[in-house]
Amino acid sequence: MEKVIKTLCRMCDDHCGIDVTVDEDKLISIQGNKEHSWNRGRVCIKGSRGVDMVTSEKRIMKPLKKTEDGFVEIELEQALDEIAEKMKFIQKTYGDASVGIWKGEAIGFAQQEEVARRFIHAIGSPNYFSNDSECFAGRWLGYSLVYGRWNAQPAFENAKTIVVWGGNPPHAHPNMTQQINRAREKGAKLVVIDPRYSAIARQADLFIQVKPGSDGALAWGVAKELIDKGYLAYDFIRDYTIGFDELKEYAQKFDYDYVAQETGMDAATMIPEFAEMIKESMSATVFYVGNGLEHHENGINNIRAVANLDGLVAAVDAKGGNYSPIGLPMGELTLYHEKPLKELHPIGADRFPVLYDFRQEYHTMTLMDTILSEKPYPFKGLILAGANPVLTNPNTNKVRAALCALDLFVVRELFMTETAELADYILPAASYLERSEFHGHGGKQVMTLTTRIFEPADGVQDEYQFLHDIAHRMGAGAYFPWENEDALNEWLIKDTGVSMETFKANPSGYNYAEPQYAKYADNVAKGKKAFDTPSGKLEFTSTYLKDLGYQELAEYFPPASNVVDPEYPMTMITGARKVMYYHGRNRNIDSLRSALPEGEVEISKADALKMDIQTGDWIRVTSKIGTMEIKAKVMEKIEISEGQIQITHGWKETNVNLITHDDRFDPISGFPLMKAVQVKIEKM
Amino acid sequence: MKTVTIDPKKCVGCRNCEMSCAYAQTGEDCIRTHANIRVNNYSDDRFVLPMTCFHCEEAWCMNVCPANAISRNGETGAVMIDQTKCAGCKMCILACPFGNIHFDHVALVSRKCDLCGGDPQCVKHCIAEALNFEEIDDLAERKRIGIDERVKMLAKKQ
Repeated sequence: MEKVIKTLCRMCDDHCGIDVTVDEDKLISIQGNKEHSWNRGRVCIKGSRGVDMVTSEKRIMKPLKKTEDGFVEIELEQALDEIAEKMKFIQKTYGDASVGIWKGEAIGFAQQEEVARRFIHAIGSPNYFSNDSECFAGRWLGYSLVYGRWNAQPAFENAKTIVVWGGNPPHAHPNMTQQINRAREKGAKLVVIDPRYSAIARQADLFIQVKPGSDGALAWGVAKELIDKGYLAYDFIRDYTIGFDELKEYAQKFDYDYVAQETGMDAATMIPEFAEMIKESMSATVFYVGNGLEHHENGINNIRAVANLDGLVAAVDAKGGNYSPIGLPMGELTLYHEKPLKELHPIGADRFPVLYDFRQEYHTMTLMDTILSEKPYPFKGLILAGANPVLTNPNTNKVRAALCALDLFVVRELFMTETAELADYILPAASYLERSEFHGHGGKQVMTLTTRIFEPADGVQDEYQFLHDIAHRMGAGAYFPWENEDALNEWLIKDTGVSMETFKANPSGYNYAEPQYAKYADNVAKGKKAFDTPSGKLEFTSTYLKDLGYQELAEYFPPASNVVDPEYPMTMITGARKVMYYHGRNRNIDSLRSALPEGEVEISKADALKMDIQTGDWIRVTSKIGTMEIKAKVMEKIEISEGQIQITHGWKETNVNLITHDDRFDPISGFPLMKAVQVKIEKM
Repeated sequence: MKTVTIDPKKCVGCRNCEMSCAYAQTGEDCIRTHANIRVNNYSDDRFVLPMTCFHCEEAWCMNVCPANAISRNGETGAVMIDQTKCAGCKMCILACPFGNIHFDHVALVSRKCDLCGGDPQCVKHCIAEALNFEEIDDLAERKRIGIDERVKMLAKKQ
């Protein structure tokens, strides 16, 4: 007898509502849930082909231990006992901080992050890592430095001008596209800023093609235009911001000629056009910044420069602007208030203090150096869940060497990955249909409890159960008193005022609050800070950064690639998303792989002509870090500019991170240079 | 009768429709040439248009088929090709003014949209809402509302 069960997708980080059809214990199909406010019945292809992922015969279903004869299956109890013993031995021998945990993006929902933080902290180490320190956290920092928080889910639907800046929602956050289009249907304008003619650019009213990493120059140029024309939210600037005079003075440098020189765009035409659109929408302008701005040596200041625009037109916590959602007071799993953290010298925290201060997480690139050098202290044991840094971190060869040098490397996974191959133990992880966790869609103020549709097979665990079992074996069981995930969930909602029954009765998400705009004004009325910044105001200038030795203003520094290096004359962008894949995942799902079977380097028609390159030809790409080989895809004129190439990450066979930088960073966030890599290319 | 409606002003060319159609047709792959819906993308003209069968009231493909392989499904209104009857003569492809029928060079039959039995996968995978499965009167109403919103904005500006 077939029945339909509602839960959330976890094939990417958008967590669309899905209808899962099952027949007894057989998974029949996955379709979009029409009642979920995020996606309204629609899913992308990887969403529906989640069936192939969950039912794949390639899934790891038994714990594996590496021996001289390769991996052998062992019982779960043995694996847990041995891992706990080895963790204890490493901590005793090398110190408490010599072990760490790494939360990936592939399995489980949002709450696994706090569970991982709690675990590592409970056993006395400050070393929590995640892929956020090279993807996402940069935007979080940029916006938080300006106005105290960042909302990754802007309320597009009420906007009158939508600016998609360095992002491509159709491939990266698919169902944001329908939200953008719903606003456009009501007359909203769409501005897309990107070096590439991305999918979302196809519908832009204004498409601005900029050189990689030059976004800050454009943002400052727009700021100057808004100031010169008087398109400003004067009252908001007066009452709720600091540093406007400094901003105004610094912006003067960004005349049309300078912006055109830096960005390669037609500034004299496009900046006035852009500003006129903003004038029509003012606080109903969404500036949505994508991952494209993060992976640069000047990334954070570029992001801050865009966030400043929100302040100039008061598009902050506004209906149609970057709305700041009201949270649901879930139980906090982190132990920051109970145990010291900074005193334990987390890896990379002294090198990139802002990343530490804002995210309480550490720098995965520095981790690789630490493992190999044992400086500032030995780091010997790592538990990694659902990440694949061999494909997704910069400088693959170093990542591989570092992970191989660990005394204990435990990977929790659904599949054998390039990273899992290096592990001492691989533990089978529950898929998203085999766990029940909370996930919030912040912008919608909706919290959903996912449904455990299938019980995990014998030996397969969810994150909580695994860390619970290890903690109890390591003498930290007091921090994991909840018997299982369900008991933990009960505890998480104890102070929310919403009962478990309510969540269960609302599998399409429980709408816990209606939107409230301009909360900064209410804050002031209540005697609180308007914004969660040191000054309590929206900060065009940051004394916090100044005190740390950074620029007070979001100063623009041209990317190194703006000056052509004769030896490495091309600029390589990496990481443009493909909708059927999610970072390093899904290449092992035949149905999805058939849609795009191999990696390719996108190259401009002009460069292809010069070098006699045709689609399908093999190309050698070389940076100062290394060399890789990949087939060419010659693009149409508008799609990518002359002198630039793009390679999507996540391919084992054509792994672009063999040649990306783990030695050149944004100085504030520590984000690696991955989107303006200077390279040379040769036809093979 | 509901039909798949297309709004080229919303399509971003993500090709989820093609991939999901290919999977619905083959049950195993997402290869776009196996799809009955096709996204035509003209980058340098900045134009993109998804195209699939309109299930015409007067279906020329159906009229011209010498094997009587094409018929209209009474329940869904879909104009469908019975692959067991199709002789592979390609007359339907010649007759369709939109190019919405293609030839399967392996099975040697013509292929076109069958509305997935009344639950078209292309629409359920259209993350841009460029495709909708709706009554044609509902489309007209949506368009009117959209225009009203624009006029409202203009009127407020005056």
